[in-house]
Amino acid sequence: MKRKILINLVGILLAFILGALVMAIQGKDPIEAYYRLFEYSLGTPNKIAYTLNKSVPLVLTGLSATVAFASGPVNLGQPGQLLMGALFATVGGLYINLPPGLLIPLLLILSMLGGALWSGVAALLKHLFNMNEFITTLMLNMIADYLTLWAISYPFFEKNANHPQTPLINQNGWMPEWGSFSSNVIVMLLAFGIIWFIVNRTTSGYEWRISGQNSLFSRLGGVNVKKNYLAVMLLTGALAGLAGGLIIMAGPHRFIKDIGANYAWDGVMIAMVANTGVILTLVFGLFFAILQTGALGMELQVQVPRELIKVLQAVIVLIVVAGRGYFESLFALLEARRKMRGRTS
Amino acid sequence: MKIVIGLINGMLTAATPILLAALGGSMTYYAGIFNIAMEGMMLSGAFFAVLGSYYFHSWLVGILFAILGAILMALIFVLFAVVLKMDEFITGIGLNLLSLGLTTYMLRQIFKVKGAFSSLEIVPIPKIDIPLIKDIPIIGDVISGQNLIVYLTVLAVIIVHYLVFKTRFGLRLRAAGYNRTCLDTSGVSANRIRIISLLICGILCGLAGAFLSLGYVTVFTEGMSAGKGWISLAAVILVSGSPKGIALISLLFGFTDGLGLFMQRTMPPQFTSMVPYIATLIALFVYSIRLKKKQKIIGA
Repeated sequence: MKRKILINLVGILLAFILGALVMAIQGKDPIEAYYRLFEYSLGTPNKIAYTLNKSVPLVLTGLSATVAFASGPVNLGQPGQLLMGALFATVGGLYINLPPGLLIPLLLILSMLGGALWSGVAALLKHLFNMNEFITTLMLNMIADYLTLWAISYPFFEKNANHPQTPLINQNGWMPEWGSFSSNVIVMLLAFGIIWFIVNRTTSGYEWRISGQNSLFSRLGGVNVKKNYLAVMLLTGALAGLAGGLIIMAGPHRFIKDIGANYAWDGVMIAMVANTGVILTLVFGLFFAILQTGALGMELQVQVPRELIKVLQAVIVLIVVAGRGYFESLFALLEARRKMRGRTS
Repeated sequence: MKIVIGLINGMLTAATPILLAALGGSMTYYAGIFNIAMEGMMLSGAFFAVLGSYYFHSWLVGILFAILGAILMALIFVLFAVVLKMDEFITGIGLNLLSLGLTTYMLRQIFKVKGAFSSLEIVPIPKIDIPLIKDIPIIGDVISGQNLIVYLTVLAVIIVHYLVFKTRFGLRLRAAGYNRTCLDTSGVSANRIRIISLLICGILCGLAGAFLSLGYVTVFTEGMSAGKGWISLAAVILVSGSPKGIALISLLFGFTDGLGLFMQRTMPPQFTSMVPYIATLIALFVYSIRLKKKQKIIGA
């Protein structure tokens, strides 16, 4: 366990050093930049609340990818599922009006339905025609992109707006806020708890994990692989959809063009770097949120473009994952040598 | 008649980048690499093409830069997937995101713009008029006057086919994918073959990127590869890597793209933009149905 944490930290450190080099070459002070980054995202309680708020879509899409990858299905459709979830929540919020206590759960369920519907299409294509979800979800991402763009450009278009967006959703459907702390964080933590419980403490979670590690073994052990596949696809779609719904309900309260840009691919990145661990997904989701929030501080104070963070994230993923494999084989080698020595002496 | 010529030209324009990237994917497919980084290589190529063309006022330098930019991505792939033995799938995804991040960052850092960079000083890749043929009515409009890269693409199909099936290198390439250990034990380093195949893939993806940003427009926009790398991956999988098959299927995808533009008269543009992706899904569908039938025959 300690070794795992160490490997992750070393990877992150290496990525930061690389980032510092890039900044130093451009004549910027990297220490100042990193200080600003963390100061801007964690400096005051308000800033922490904002960072937490920002982490919601990251953690949820990360969980979606993590559960999928850990159980076998290569669901890369989080971007599309997120958009569909956001669209469903928006449309519900535009036409349904109930007291907040009813409307908020309803919209959350709608957003999950939207996401599950979109991942369900991919699951169905796999189930009926054995089409690989890895490519179908990617294509469905692009289709969802244009479908939602059409939806906010024509049927749900806000009149007189100068770029595609919908009107505001009913105020009863807005996530309550206390100061700068938004309640969507509570929804995220709830979802995290439920997912952790399902994956680690239920029979189906166990079956999923086993199927992810060895599909043949689980089938021979009597696991209904097809049913589990469908369940995982729907669940992970719902998670990504929930992320989309929460973006709308806690953020701009309307669907604006390019609203989900990047969030969802970040989810895949987080899942990869977290190595299919549910808790690590939460940790890395929060960490990436710190980076993304702090990036603006870095840009304002040290004039380092915030896009550098995108590079840094990808580098972290590559280095941590590569480092994990490299260190593990290194440790295995050392272990084997020690055993050899023990035998010969 | 004009519509037909327009459709054919639209088809060639849309098919070219997909075809080039898919040829690159075909090289790595035969080498047994699960390479999904074409998207990132293409994007990097597109950015560096604009960079080179803008600073040196030459499309040739633009193409060279594009190839170097894509090769840079290929080298990173080599470092992680071949040298450090990281999972190829994760490397590919990481690389695509790295490419997206890097190009966005450099767009901001070098050109001081967000979203897109366009300038009159970027020199586009020229169109080539073939003497004599260009004067033939109809045929001249299609065969002559295409972008230089389109002709290079035709050449690339032939070269890749020859390289894979008619040369010693091709034999080793296929052996690397078919049975690595066997190749290694016969004294040829499979890793070297894999690295070469990735570099060739980089070159081809660089050309595809140059076509995107310097072909008919002179602009680089964030994430301008827009899933073309994924479509080319689908093309490679659909035909199991065969260069001829890739050429055919890319033309088919290109045709649907041109058709989409044509349909814009009757439909909102968002729907017509979906057409290539839906076409990919349909192609995958047909593929899986055929596979099922084949398996049934073998089973019976």
